[in-house]
Amino acid sequence: MLVLRRRAGDSLLIGGEIEIEILEITPTRVKLGILAPDSVTILRKEVYLTREQNVTAAKKVDAGAVSWLTGKLAKH
Amino acid sequence: MPSFPTTYFGELEYHPDSVFEFPFGIPGFDEHTRFLLVEQVQSHPLVFVQSLLSPELCFIAVPVLVVDPQYRLELNEEDLASLQLPGAAQPRVGEDVACLALVTVTENVDPTANLRSPLVLNLKKRVGLQIIHQDTRYSFRQPIQSQEELTQCSC
Repeated sequence: MLVLRRRAGDSLLIGGEIEIEILEITPTRVKLGILAPDSVTILRKEVYLTREQNVTAAKKVDAGAVSWLTGKLAKH
Repeated sequence: MPSFPTTYFGELEYHPDSVFEFPFGIPGFDEHTRFLLVEQVQSHPLVFVQSLLSPELCFIAVPVLVVDPQYRLELNEEDLASLQLPGAAQPRVGEDVACLALVTVTENVDPTANLRSPLVLNLKKRVGLQIIHQDTRYSFRQPIQSQEELTQCSC
């Protein structure tokens, strides 16, 4: 992983079309401004991971698996 | 009473007031904004979250407290506003809101529950939201353990 130190007001370029500017730094957070073409999707990673997990969870589950899971939880 | 054809429950009759509105859908299923919760005696404590847009879209969920009795729900101001909850205090799980973890069942792997991004449902206003917990210790894929296994862990 490339690691860089930057100050508020500094920028990074990724390729020729994506610019990330450090707008503000606080003790717990950084505020970023991102300039990118419309074709580039920008997502917070946790939203991406949630989406991936939702898509996996939505897959068909057979009745046997449901009753096995119920049996596992029934001991609660 | 309206009804909706479902893949798993056949024709499902429901009371219009029982529908949960998810104004933003959920990530990956943004267009699904209306869900029903289906509970069956034989599959307690599981809760089925049935989309009212697609008959075949039905998530299996479990109350977060079943998976982790110490689970602490923390909603930020934005989440509270989206859920039409007063901003002054955190809602009580089981009274003001239901908090459900979506379950993933994959072959040959223990089932997991998503404790990092649970569904939170305002039981009074019938509004739902999939939140993302700030606390990164909660996993997107928390293995579901039975009571026996939990007891062994706490020894």
